[in-house]
Amino acid sequence: MSALTFTLKQHPDQRVDMSPLVCQKLATLSVADIAALTLQNGKRSPRVDALFTITGTDTQNIVIKNSSDKLDFIGKELDGGCITVEGDAGAYLGIGMQAGDLKVTGNVGLYAACEMKKGYLEISGNVGDFLGGALPGNKMGMKGGTVLVKGNAGERVGDHLRRGTILIEGDAGDYCGSRMTAGTIAVMGKTGRYLGYAMRRGTLLLWQQPTLSASFNDCGTHTLGFLPILFASYKKFNSKFADAGLAFNRAQRYAGDMSEMGKGEVLVKR
Amino acid sequence: MLIKLTGGTVYDPASGVDGVKQDIYIQDGRIIAKPLEGLTVDKVYDLNGKVVMSGAIDMHTHIGGGKGNIARTLLPEDHRQDPVARTDITRSGCGHAMPSSFVTGYRYAEMGYTAGFEPAVLPINARQAHMEMADIPILDKGGYVMLGSDDYLLRMLTAKKDQKAINDYVAWTMQAAKAIGVKVVNPGGINAFKFNQRKLDLDEQNSHYGVTPRDILRVLATAVKEIGVKHPLHVHGCNLGVPGNVQTTLDTIQGIGGLPMHLTHIQFHSYGTEGDFKFSSGAAQIAEAINKNKNISIDVGQILFGQTVTASGDSMRQHCNHKFASPNKWVTMDIECDAGCGVVPFKYKDQNFVNALQWAIGLETFLLVEDPWRIFLTTDHPNGAPFTSYPHLIRLLMDKTFRNDVLATIHPEAQKMTTLASITREYSLQEIAIMTRAGAARLIGLQDRGGLSAGNWADITVYTDNTDRQKMFEKPDYVFKDGQLVVVDGKVVSTKWGTTHVVKPEFDASVESGLQKYFDRFLTMKLGNFKISDDELTEDGRGSITVHPLAN
Repeated sequence: MSALTFTLKQHPDQRVDMSPLVCQKLATLSVADIAALTLQNGKRSPRVDALFTITGTDTQNIVIKNSSDKLDFIGKELDGGCITVEGDAGAYLGIGMQAGDLKVTGNVGLYAACEMKKGYLEISGNVGDFLGGALPGNKMGMKGGTVLVKGNAGERVGDHLRRGTILIEGDAGDYCGSRMTAGTIAVMGKTGRYLGYAMRRGTLLLWQQPTLSASFNDCGTHTLGFLPILFASYKKFNSKFADAGLAFNRAQRYAGDMSEMGKGEVLVKR
Repeated sequence: MLIKLTGGTVYDPASGVDGVKQDIYIQDGRIIAKPLEGLTVDKVYDLNGKVVMSGAIDMHTHIGGGKGNIARTLLPEDHRQDPVARTDITRSGCGHAMPSSFVTGYRYAEMGYTAGFEPAVLPINARQAHMEMADIPILDKGGYVMLGSDDYLLRMLTAKKDQKAINDYVAWTMQAAKAIGVKVVNPGGINAFKFNQRKLDLDEQNSHYGVTPRDILRVLATAVKEIGVKHPLHVHGCNLGVPGNVQTTLDTIQGIGGLPMHLTHIQFHSYGTEGDFKFSSGAAQIAEAINKNKNISIDVGQILFGQTVTASGDSMRQHCNHKFASPNKWVTMDIECDAGCGVVPFKYKDQNFVNALQWAIGLETFLLVEDPWRIFLTTDHPNGAPFTSYPHLIRLLMDKTFRNDVLATIHPEAQKMTTLASITREYSLQEIAIMTRAGAARLIGLQDRGGLSAGNWADITVYTDNTDRQKMFEKPDYVFKDGQLVVVDGKVVSTKWGTTHVVKPEFDASVESGLQKYFDRFLTMKLGNFKISDDELTEDGRGSITVHPLAN
């Protein structure tokens, strides 16, 4: 059975809500039924086959080809199965995702992995602001699962992060780990201003020395036994994070944000 | 256009009609007596087997004013989770606990309500409250202006001004804020909070002004009576939500000395301190006091289980309750020299002992108070539950079996602490019609609403009789507002704009000389701008003002 493939006919002018096209919602539908579904596109609701050429039949393995940054809500609440996006994706990629794999070859917009619960999300390009964050007003962001970003991430990575892992091979913007309650964010590249702003607990794992606010305290250099175990758990990823040469167990530890609970930690490679 | 509603079973307590088959004629928006022979009836609705009541009136519902917008801002999830799409005749909106203004109007109308009264209009924010209510379609509306924690009144009391001066100030404020009643919230307590007091009992002095809540209630209740406002002083008492506050409430009833007084959301003021958890029901004592004191009326402020948001002017009590906020975010603020505001999201849970007992206390109150003309059906929207839960509440009151089935599911300790299971009373349709129509209109002082006799405005709701009262009241067959058919089968079919009900009590013009100095010295607004003119409500062509007569 070949992957169910949606090839975008032409890049839309208005945004498209892709939330109906997830594996669990299509499982019982025939290709003709799927073609007849409607998608919200700006103020219009065209049929799926008006926007996409559909080939293949395996609803548990979806491929979106020639994708555009106008396609929002790809993989919304995905509950098992696999979605591969060839090209860019819009906002809210993998929002509320519960299980399965979601991979994007290009760049991604705002609020990727927003309030994600479980599963694996891989972004080969760059990602916008609020990666793994909470919707405005909500108190809990991503609650589980793993996000791997091979490019750079925008501002507010892991805002209100509750649990789970965010791995960034490139740089992260300002306010990385802001208001996080728990969870892990690892950044190999540079980080911006206000790192860990109002973080309560959780871990920021860094390869490069950050600029820290006055409300973070230097706790000295430590050899931490859990780090090799943590890095061993990254071995399964197709990523620089699996490279044993980049792993470390000696780290400078900073505690903060002291203007909040102060139980968060920033570990910097030594 | 002459409309005839024929064959319906009419419940019109205002004229003593209790379940009688009657025809009703509507012409030019009003109900008329049987027209002369030979006049052509343009439209006939056959209502055989249907129940006909006047449009329901919610006499205490927070539908306008700044706190609603704070609640909306604080809870974007409440709006995200409940979107309402536009149709050809209705506008889009959203919101479960605190819906947008348009959705508020549609949802009320779709339940057969044709009027709602905002009980906490701060004088300084009255313009905004009226502008917001002007965006509520279909419903008539009105507001009770909030006094009692305003520095001007407290200064007058400290300076021992006579009752006449206070009457003038109250009447002037009602006119300036376009109100139909006067409300007092935690009398003096909101002000005491600003002087770092965190509780204020009925006989406890404000540490700055030396005035007690008892003094404030008495002068305001006297003022309301003497200036001829029909709606008695609308009181949100001291110690809201505090275990043991039943005594405060009983003292408040005694302390008013026979003056007319309406105690609002009394469920939150009926708590004892008995039992293992030091929290018990005071409903029986309260009901006994209400039954005995004919000068007192109440609305219940029933809680119903689920997510909502509490929005109150009582910043003192809301600040105390913030630790129960669910989700964990809250706002308490000061509002100039007028009052305060507290918004705390709440999730009432049936497996929480306190919440479960609150639920039972409200129902006990409904069932133990004998006179339906002095008790009103409210959830203190949105504080106890959103107004959309009224049909469910009506079923709880009208169906003992259903009530006991729900009772059996709540926290077991709460079941032991309530007498609810032993109460056999079931409300009749006529009693529901009194609480939600005729009684409410009489209490507020609406002269031509809440009844179905000739001369009344044709606000009419038609239901299909159904033993499942929730289903019955959820989905009226027809709703007429001022004679216009606005709802069919529980869906809005056309919209219009309701009027704003006010009273215009007289005052001595010299009252402004003192106020002028006070405004210039302390407030952000000039006296001239503070006063809302009739034109502001009517000049857009869709609002209107209806002035109701005074008592004397």
